[in-house]
Amino acid sequence: MDMAEYHETHPLPFIVTHWINLVCMICLILSGFYIHFPAFDGFMGVARGIHVLCGIVITINIIVRIVMTFIVKSAPGNGTHETKADIYSWLPQKDNRHQLTAWIGYYLFLRKEHPLGGKYGVPQKISYVLIPFLILFMAYTGFALWEPTSQLPFFLAGTEAFGGMMSMRIIHYFMMFVFILFMFIHVYLSFAEGGKGMMKMMFFNKEHGGLTYDMKTHNVSGEDERNLE
Amino acid sequence: MKSEATASELENILELHGVTRRSFMKLCGAIVAAAGVSGLTVPRVAQALEQSVIGAKEGNLYPVIWLEGASCTGCTEAFAQLRVPDPASLILEMISLNYNDVLSAGAGESLEEAKSQTIAAGNYILVYEGGILQEWGGYATRIGGRPSTEILTEAARDANAVVALGSCAVNGGWMAAHPNPSNACGVQQYLTQAGISTPVVNVPGCPANPEWLVSILTDVVVMNSLPQLNDQNKPASLFDQTIHDLCPRRGHFENGEFVRQYGTKEESENYCLYAMGCRGPQTRAACPITLYNDRRSWCVDAGAPCIGCCEANPNDPGDNWVEVNAPFANRHRKLRIGDWQFEPQTLCLAITGILAVCLVIHGFGMKKAGRLDGNVRFEKKRRWDAKHPDRSIGDYDEPLTIIHEDGTKETVPAGTNLPGVPESDEAWKKQHAAQVAAKKADKKGGRK
Repeated sequence: MDMAEYHETHPLPFIVTHWINLVCMICLILSGFYIHFPAFDGFMGVARGIHVLCGIVITINIIVRIVMTFIVKSAPGNGTHETKADIYSWLPQKDNRHQLTAWIGYYLFLRKEHPLGGKYGVPQKISYVLIPFLILFMAYTGFALWEPTSQLPFFLAGTEAFGGMMSMRIIHYFMMFVFILFMFIHVYLSFAEGGKGMMKMMFFNKEHGGLTYDMKTHNVSGEDERNLE
Repeated sequence: MKSEATASELENILELHGVTRRSFMKLCGAIVAAAGVSGLTVPRVAQALEQSVIGAKEGNLYPVIWLEGASCTGCTEAFAQLRVPDPASLILEMISLNYNDVLSAGAGESLEEAKSQTIAAGNYILVYEGGILQEWGGYATRIGGRPSTEILTEAARDANAVVALGSCAVNGGWMAAHPNPSNACGVQQYLTQAGISTPVVNVPGCPANPEWLVSILTDVVVMNSLPQLNDQNKPASLFDQTIHDLCPRRGHFENGEFVRQYGTKEESENYCLYAMGCRGPQTRAACPITLYNDRRSWCVDAGAPCIGCCEANPNDPGDNWVEVNAPFANRHRKLRIGDWQFEPQTLCLAITGILAVCLVIHGFGMKKAGRLDGNVRFEKKRRWDAKHPDRSIGDYDEPLTIIHEDGTKETVPAGTNLPGVPESDEAWKKQHAAQVAAKKADKKGGRK
């Protein structure tokens, strides 16, 4: 049985920013592939429009999300109503201490029991913490390539440091694959491990029962058998 | 002084050549077009030409020394093909080209002497063509037994300005491409290292468009100033915009109309060459405006994608146009780790494919282990905590609370097996199997 998830786990503002990330990311990847190589006719103007628009939206979205992490409260664990500033879910937390090898072992089928931990497991937290920085870096490389901003000293300095426009374009392309690889793992684990309950929570804000957790004892505190949908 | 040439009155020159006022204005228009500035400035240029040293009765012509380093002489060749103004007029009547390996009438000692005198007299422009090969003490290229690096240093020190003509002179060009055995670099970088502060005007291109040189010489000779330069010391009016933004096929790009294969209808309709690897979007030069070959055509007009020959960062020989753009027909350059070269796209797709396969295999593992859809069995105690009871992270002695479906609460002692957490893996698997069977039965029941 999985942990219960309440509204405190994924507050509504974060569900909204997650939706925006999802839509923008998919639009950016698809339009980006087309801009990289236009496999069919008639779409370049639209693709570039979508790409630039989504790039700007996702950049603003990630900045808003970073600001919100300091001012919006969320539960740093599943199965609990107790909340703290969301930033605590992104910093190392006691619930996860010494659990990295346990997580890796679990994913490699070397151990059968799911490790106890905070809302985000150790590898999950590491990758999630990287994502905002990657998005900002991606935005930087993107604006360094986009003609109206490419000649601003802030972006030009990067282009020169990386060895010219071609290098910048390849970095932008590589970074897209970093996101694709992340999405593969993220989507796979969400389906495989999180399952339907977690999906309903993350996309449609619906709670579900399961094991409950106590942030003070750092341990499972019981079980919520209710169907909360 | 021997090296000084004088010009007669401008009108006399024009008359001598049978040049009408109309043709003269055309020349001014050509200079303006070459400089990439507005046609409205033509009268100003004409006026400046008339009042300049060229137009003065006894004025001195501006001395120019044209040196070649590691070059193919392509830039000289391009210059020699110039029509408006033709090289002869330029050399004899606009400037005093006191030294050029190819075009000077003299040769050997006498030519070297002319150069020495020009340098000694000062107030001249140095045009440098070709890369600087720093390795082997500069002896890879030498004239009269002296390394070209020494000749450059000597000629650049007292020059009013150095025009680095062609991508090789800007940053070493293709000679600076990996592995760059001759340690090639551009004029600006070399002079900076040598502590020479003479201003450098970088004019990339392979070959550099001769009309760009004319526009710079016009600025120097006529306006007595260097053109406005960008932060790479390239003339801003010529190198601040991308070829893509100035391209006559840009409309086809925006419409998404592309040539994907040569010899097709799309090619005959002059569609955009982006899909053929055109480097226009990342190359900054005024090629589509200035054009080549007496303003007849340029690469894209001739049906060939831009290969980015104007890409040259004067401070970074690694950012040379060949290494950055080859293979020209692909969207990306090749990357290199040691001697292993690979395409970015191939690497990315390979890694993505491997990951996808790994995840599919992992998914089957998850299914077999019965872990899918949130069906996990949590550890009752962290393994680390079990090994380090004195420093345990969790507190495992608190009683547990079960909230039943109807909302009633039940407290059970610590260590009690919760319904969702069976004691053993076998018990958990059995429970899971029962749940799966119940779900299946539910579905079947629903269908009936």
